[in-house]
Amino acid sequence: MAETFPVKPKLRPTSGKSTPTAESKYWKSFKIPKDIETTPSKSLNYPITSLSFSPVAPHDFAATHSASFTVFSGKTLEPKFTVNDFSDAAASSSFRCDGKLLAAGDLTGTVHVFDAKSRNHLRRLKGHSAAARVVCYPRAADKFHLFSGGDDSVVKYWDVAAEKCVLNLLGHKDYVRCGDASPVSDDMFVSGSYDHKVRVWDVRVSSAVSVAELNHEKPVESVIYLPSGGLIATAGGNFVKIWDVIGGGKLLYSMESHNKTVTALCMGKVGRVGGDEAEQNRILSVSLDGYMKVFDYAKFKITYSMRFPHPLLSVGFSPDSLTRVIGTSKGILYIGRRKGKVESADLGDPVALGAVEDEPQRRVLRPSYFRYFHRGQNAKPAEGDYLIKRPKKVKLAEYDKLLKKFRHKESLVAVLNGKNPENVVAVIEELILRKKLLKCVTNLDAEELGLLLGFLQKYSTMPRYAGLLTRLVNKVVELRAEDIRSSDQLRGHIRNLKRDVEEEIRIQQSLLEIQGIISPMLRIAARR
Amino acid sequence: MITGGKRFVSSPPAFSNDAKRLLVCTGNTVSVFSTSTGLQISELEGHEAQVTSVIVVPPSSPASKLMCYCWTASLDGKIKYWDFAAPELMTTIDIGSSIHSMVIPSLLSQSAESNGKHPDLFAYIYTEDVKPREEKTDCLCGQIQKCNLTKSRIVGGVTLAKTRKPGSITISPSGKYIGTYERQKLRIWEIPEKDSEHVGYKKIRLHHTKSFTALAFHPTERVVAAGDVTGRILIWRGVGHKTCLNDGKLIRRGLNKDAEDQPGVRDDDDADSCTTWHWHSSQVNVLFFSSDGAYLYSGGREGVLVVWQLDTGKKKFLPRIGSPLLYFVNSPDPSLSSISRADNQIQLLRMPSMEILRSISGIKPSSSHMEIYEGFGSGVVFNHTSGLLAVPTENYRVQFYSLFDDREISEVQICERNYQPGDEITVKVNLVAVSPDGSTMSTVETRLPEEGIGNLVSLKFWACSSQNKHFSLSTVIYEPHGDGGISSIAFRPTSHMAVSSSYGGDFKVWVRRHEISTEDQTVENTGWRCHAVGSYKKKPMTASAFSGDGSVLAVAAEKVITLWDPDRNILLSVIGDSLEPITSLSFVGKSEYLVSASRGSDPQLTIWSMLKLCTTWSYRLDVEAVASSFDKSTFAVLALIKPAKHMESTEASLHSAEGVILLFNVENPVPLSTWFVSKAQGGGLSFVWSSPKSEDEVAETKAFDEVLAYINGAHEYVLLSPHGEQASNLSFSRHRNFSSLEEKERSGYASIYGELPEFSLKIDQTPFTSMPSEKTWKTMFSGPSHSLPPLPKLCSDFLESLLERRSALVE
Repeated sequence: MAETFPVKPKLRPTSGKSTPTAESKYWKSFKIPKDIETTPSKSLNYPITSLSFSPVAPHDFAATHSASFTVFSGKTLEPKFTVNDFSDAAASSSFRCDGKLLAAGDLTGTVHVFDAKSRNHLRRLKGHSAAARVVCYPRAADKFHLFSGGDDSVVKYWDVAAEKCVLNLLGHKDYVRCGDASPVSDDMFVSGSYDHKVRVWDVRVSSAVSVAELNHEKPVESVIYLPSGGLIATAGGNFVKIWDVIGGGKLLYSMESHNKTVTALCMGKVGRVGGDEAEQNRILSVSLDGYMKVFDYAKFKITYSMRFPHPLLSVGFSPDSLTRVIGTSKGILYIGRRKGKVESADLGDPVALGAVEDEPQRRVLRPSYFRYFHRGQNAKPAEGDYLIKRPKKVKLAEYDKLLKKFRHKESLVAVLNGKNPENVVAVIEELILRKKLLKCVTNLDAEELGLLLGFLQKYSTMPRYAGLLTRLVNKVVELRAEDIRSSDQLRGHIRNLKRDVEEEIRIQQSLLEIQGIISPMLRIAARR
Repeated sequence: MITGGKRFVSSPPAFSNDAKRLLVCTGNTVSVFSTSTGLQISELEGHEAQVTSVIVVPPSSPASKLMCYCWTASLDGKIKYWDFAAPELMTTIDIGSSIHSMVIPSLLSQSAESNGKHPDLFAYIYTEDVKPREEKTDCLCGQIQKCNLTKSRIVGGVTLAKTRKPGSITISPSGKYIGTYERQKLRIWEIPEKDSEHVGYKKIRLHHTKSFTALAFHPTERVVAAGDVTGRILIWRGVGHKTCLNDGKLIRRGLNKDAEDQPGVRDDDDADSCTTWHWHSSQVNVLFFSSDGAYLYSGGREGVLVVWQLDTGKKKFLPRIGSPLLYFVNSPDPSLSSISRADNQIQLLRMPSMEILRSISGIKPSSSHMEIYEGFGSGVVFNHTSGLLAVPTENYRVQFYSLFDDREISEVQICERNYQPGDEITVKVNLVAVSPDGSTMSTVETRLPEEGIGNLVSLKFWACSSQNKHFSLSTVIYEPHGDGGISSIAFRPTSHMAVSSSYGGDFKVWVRRHEISTEDQTVENTGWRCHAVGSYKKKPMTASAFSGDGSVLAVAAEKVITLWDPDRNILLSVIGDSLEPITSLSFVGKSEYLVSASRGSDPQLTIWSMLKLCTTWSYRLDVEAVASSFDKSTFAVLALIKPAKHMESTEASLHSAEGVILLFNVENPVPLSTWFVSKAQGGGLSFVWSSPKSEDEVAETKAFDEVLAYINGAHEYVLLSPHGEQASNLSFSRHRNFSSLEEKERSGYASIYGELPEFSLKIDQTPFTSMPSEKTWKTMFSGPSHSLPPLPKLCSDFLESLLERRSALVE
């Protein structure tokens, strides 16, 4: 038996680029929220040297720039307040594990501790003889200590409450520029220095000597612990290296896809929106070449890269993986926010609600309920059920329906009224196959003819349709010459058409000229 | 030698009495199909020429409903009587002249008189007299004769009619009338109830201004319907009223004919009234009254089955059948009937709803409109590994047909259009090519322009999924060679590469690319893309072929052959200069020889040695098709024999043969064997592996079991053994698996809810047998009814207990 075949436009070649992967879709979904897009406060005028997120919801974040730092609300992404209590440029900031305190170092060597809510200046830790470039709170549970590193190549471990330096960790021979606390232990941390070395410290070891030393072979700009606590990623020069610390400081991989110095690293997470797959960790790296790259260290593969117009200095990724912030040397913050629930305060509730909802469904359905008439309609198939699919309904557009009724002219007019030129061409081709096109053209009245001429004027010089439409134009003009002559509007169409065709001919001629120039050269090149 | 691909629709089929079997005339045999599965059950072999009629003997009493006897008549002049359940030949009657149609009226009327002694059985046969034909050419050579089947002889002196050409006889369902039509005349004879050798016939004639094409009798009333070439259906009521009343004496009514008395009746035709219905736009092929006489079925070239309500003239349609209808046959089962379509397909219909249940299809005939491109291209393509035949059909499809199983495998819709018979052809599928491993198909379709606007050639690649063996569209390439038409497509045997050559003067090499996107998504994106373009002096490329190992691509540039490296697209060499454009190229197996064929006024078959790059030998032959074996150095050609060249003195057998198949060894210009074939125009030829096998098996088996498959222009095929001498004992046997029996028909409860789970009797019986009660019958029915075993089972126990008691009493 015959089926119904709707008129379909010709297939077009898909672009060589493959369809975006799920991961690149994910990273693209970090967009600047529309409501704050235009606020000028995003531009801080000075290089943003560091970014840090609060570990507790709603994950406020702090950006240091010039002699101040600004705390942004994690909810609205608006700046909450700016602190200017620095005598020199601020260099680094870090939230305490409960998000209540915030520490920042400045170039004089002082580490300042603030209350993250009231902005009260609580402590000044003085000890570094040069700029304190690294300040870092332990990440796990320790609320009383922090460590800092400075340009005096010393790493200090502080008791914050007493404003006292507990340990002076010596070993680096150049500026200490970066560091990170271990995510699993309060006593372990790592620091990187311009002497190409990365040292792992353990404050439980009294000797004040690093427990491990890794050679990055370039001045280290950034170092982070990976979530397991056993791996470390270091950035310096044009590359990022992954180290296995537990395995004796073994180099696992060197990612060398940036073209300029990698300035900052941070951990990112790829969580499926549907939640069907476990979250996977990624390393986000930013570089002076303006690229942000996402690196899958399980597979040692770059999964996504994105270009920004300015050199990038710092990067941050919120722990709830909703916000991604990138700071540039021009002081512009690129804040990306993914759509999702910002608040995930109480997870227990929906479960409880679900249990409550189940209860009324047990009620016996009687015809007095509306749901009685819908019973069983939403039944889901069981695992082993054999599904009989309903035959797919063929969607018919208006012109298809008219073609089915052999109302050819109406269908041509209907599709011309639509917007899609591909469909128009498809209908024209179908009419040709039915040998009815020219009859249709002769039957069009003046208004419809104007429609057709308008379409032809627009598309007949388009390379994809030109083969068919230019011949059709000739036929139309030939068949309807008198009608066109008698109407001003149609003459206008023809004038436009003529202009377009002349333009196209000029283009073709110049292309031919170019071809004439190139082809001898190609021939000569081929001979060699 | 195995033949197949018979036409199923050469004559009307017949249902068996229980409507579970359908008897179809297929060439020299009658095939029996199961109506529930649509598969062939058995075959009646015995006739030596085409079988033209098959008549199932109706049951004489309700008890004999399972009788499976039938009469068949054939062009070889024999009438045979079969038991088609066995299947077994019972009787043969030799008539001597070819029979074009046969009816046995007494079979139908016999049931009325069921007294013990059966009268003689008479058949009316439409024979073609061969003898007088040679003497006077325009004589009446078709005649309707009477044949006594019981005594197996022709009844002398009874010739009902003589006509120019033998046609078909139509019989009324009651067996009371038989009729035939010739041109604008209907002739109807009334068969007397007691038919004997010498009996008079009442004869009725009906006239019309147009030629008749169909005839049908009403089952109970004196109503005759006839269709004509213009699509009109004429219905005469009260036919033969006068003739019957006046006991055969025809009354000349002359000029005083009252027009109002007989509305619509022409001249002095013997009918009360004549009405005309006109719906069909072209000739009516099918006319059939329903068994209760309330409806009339008609069909014609439009492919629409129309059901007319006889009293009111209201119509119901089964539209879009897609092919001209040839026959409509109803079965003893009122819910089943069949239609025969011109595209060699029989479809079974569920009756009141006219819903197509299943189809029995043979090889589709070659399209009448499909203009064959100059040169090769019957369109039929063989796949040698799987023994499949790909046939482009009229309705823009490609049909896959198994040569060894002799049945249709699948159909692929090539372009998304509906075919309406009778429409002007605007799209045609020009070329089909299947890759040697059967995984890829490539088709070329052409859209014809309307006054120079909008012609389009598109090349399509289809991929076969490994699970269900269905082809799905992989790539579409519009205008692969600009405006130029494609002359040939060849697949490389070793890799996914294909070449298409164009009359426009270039050829393109296509490769399949794989794109398996990212690790977590298993979406495999495969497509064909152009790998290289080549041309030689802008000459039209007319044929192409890959060598057996895939290292050389040969493309014929009109009169010369160019040899290319397919990977790097480098012209290796140019050989030859034939007189006419080369139409076919073929490498012979894995040897270094190339066969080229050119047609036209100066046809030539040439063998080239690839080592020396020169001609080895050549013939002047008009070659229709070339086939080369895969491993050995033999090849076969199908050559047309020009009648003009024919000498009168040649054997008579050669006259009928228009073509000859020659099997050559490449080194030797003397053919190894020769077969004469008919209908060679548009035929195809190929070597096929005799049993489909996988690649690794092929490696170890010899090329011995290659057979030569030949398909003629009418799409009937023959499998020949390439070793002509032992043609009788072929090394392969036809593994024809007739489906053993029709599946059990489900009815009632089972048809709705399926089979009941098997009920095991043993388990249920145990508690009762162990019951040591004297009076079982008392306690047996006590207890809740739902825990009791079913009544039939209890009943036997109950009776048993009664019997026991009695036996005890006797003791």
